[in-house]
Amino acid sequence: MVINKRQEAGKLTIYLEGRLDTSTSPQLLKELGTALKGITELEFDLTLLEYISSAGLRVLLAAQKTMNDQGTMIVKNPSEMVLEIFDITGFSDVLTIK
Amino acid sequence: MLIVFSTIVSVIGYRGITEALLDQYNKGALLIANTAALSVNADDMDSYINSGGETQEYKAVWEDLSQLCNSSGSTFIYVIQPDVTDYEHITFFFSTINEETSYTLYDFGYVRQTTNDDYKEKYKKLYEGTSSSESEIVIRDKGYIETDAHITAMVPLKDSSGKTRGILCVQRQMENLTNVRRSYVRKVNAALVIIAAIVVIGQCFYLYRVFLRPIQKITNEAGRFARENVTTGEKLTNSVKNKDEIGVLARSIDTMEEQIVSYVDNLTKVTAEKERISTELSLATKIQTSMLPGIFPPYPHRSDFSIFASMTPAKEVGGDFYDFFLIDDDHLAMIIADVSGKGIPAALFMMASKILLDNLGLSGAEPVEVLTKANEQICKDNKADMFVTVWYGVLEISTGKVKAANAGHEYPAIKGKDGVFTLFKDKHGFVLGGMKGMKYHQYEFQMDHGDTLFLYTDGVPEANNDKDEMFGTDRMIDALNTQPDAQPEILLENVKNSVTKFVNDAEQFDDLTMLCIKRT
Repeated sequence: MVINKRQEAGKLTIYLEGRLDTSTSPQLLKELGTALKGITELEFDLTLLEYISSAGLRVLLAAQKTMNDQGTMIVKNPSEMVLEIFDITGFSDVLTIK
Repeated sequence: MLIVFSTIVSVIGYRGITEALLDQYNKGALLIANTAALSVNADDMDSYINSGGETQEYKAVWEDLSQLCNSSGSTFIYVIQPDVTDYEHITFFFSTINEETSYTLYDFGYVRQTTNDDYKEKYKKLYEGTSSSESEIVIRDKGYIETDAHITAMVPLKDSSGKTRGILCVQRQMENLTNVRRSYVRKVNAALVIIAAIVVIGQCFYLYRVFLRPIQKITNEAGRFARENVTTGEKLTNSVKNKDEIGVLARSIDTMEEQIVSYVDNLTKVTAEKERISTELSLATKIQTSMLPGIFPPYPHRSDFSIFASMTPAKEVGGDFYDFFLIDDDHLAMIIADVSGKGIPAALFMMASKILLDNLGLSGAEPVEVLTKANEQICKDNKADMFVTVWYGVLEISTGKVKAANAGHEYPAIKGKDGVFTLFKDKHGFVLGGMKGMKYHQYEFQMDHGDTLFLYTDGVPEANNDKDEMFGTDRMIDALNTQPDAQPEILLENVKNSVTKFVNDAEQFDDLTMLCIKRT
């Protein structure tokens, strides 16, 4: 799991690469714990994300809840497989996917 | 080193003694020779030779020489004439001998071969006047073992014209020299042996005290510790006070013992704690398993449907669960659910969710209502941002009509009238516990006699093999369709075997939960 961040003023883009599952999602959760302060625009770029498990979804949901209070959150370029997981779990209704 | 040094010292001493004594002998012998030469008149040499040793004059000289020989402690005093052509032979004219020795006299006129080249050389020098001094000394001394070491002092007998007419020789034994030297060598040797012995013993003792004893202590202590695994309270550094590497080793062993003991203590505590947790976990596993209907067939008196389920958690306890219960005689509630995450947090969340869904379900509420209400309940107290995906359905057994709703769970697989399993892509709502106020969608489908419904959690399609490939729903459907008409128990078995075969050696990654209902 590789997490890359790019921040421009209040806009934070997070690039996720690899597998976001039970063993790697705590890493993302920890990153988000500090990174979201003062962020009004959060963007997840999932182009290189291979797989997301329910533990990973939980982190995205937590981020979504935080951003509901302080700005917007967008999820970009999920692979077909990740998109299918979003569809099955109903996350596609809750997240803003582009 | 010591031996080399003492050898050098003893050789120097040996030579010093030899030289000093020889000098003494030389002077003594020369003095006697010069004294004796006074008794022999060289001008009378011819008359001595012609006397045949018989004349009064000759005998008087011989008496003088003999007396001198005895009184001076010399061995021989004699007068010779060498054969001046080649000095190979000498002729004795006066020959006196000390009475205390056992030597025999040479007769007057006795001719013998010159003893050696040294004598020959010196005779020649004295005769030809090429000698640097008025006398010559021959020393026969082949080392301290030679018992008959002796010195011969020679003075030329010159007539009034200065011509050498004979040589007077005084021979003295050097037993004193030999004895002194022998005793010196013996003493030096004895001293050497004693010193060497003292040094060796001293070194052994030093080695023992400084190296062997500490090493022995360290070895004993290491051995003792290896057997007993406890410290004695007596530190090695208390008895091993070396400032060298041995001291360092002793300190290291002390430190190592302390650390091992504290490590073992720690490990014991941790192990005990682990055992306690493990016991609790296995108890938790039992409780969780017993919460799910686990006796099959669950309704032995019912022949209108058959049902089978299994749950295999990846850890001791899991977040997956299945459930089914009869709401009334004609309505069978079916639940399959998957809590996000694994282990104890997921298991606790799962228990709460299950009880909530059971209660809502037993009240006879519509599936969409059950999910909506459950979502509100879970969201209300959900501090951990956990959620659960749920498929909830109710089968009307008499008609085969199924009402269901899906909160973010996997698509069910259904075998309908075409006789093969396919994924039923139902309309999905959001997971339970994710967000308040979510709406769910209820749908219906028909299960005729012989139709089968297969429900599962993501542990099945997302089972990983060692190449990081996923099992996927296609392989799952294939496994179901190997015997599509089989009883639920066989169908589950087929899927499980297929997953096991696919996963091969990789560790089970996620919970594996399946529920299968067949209308008969």
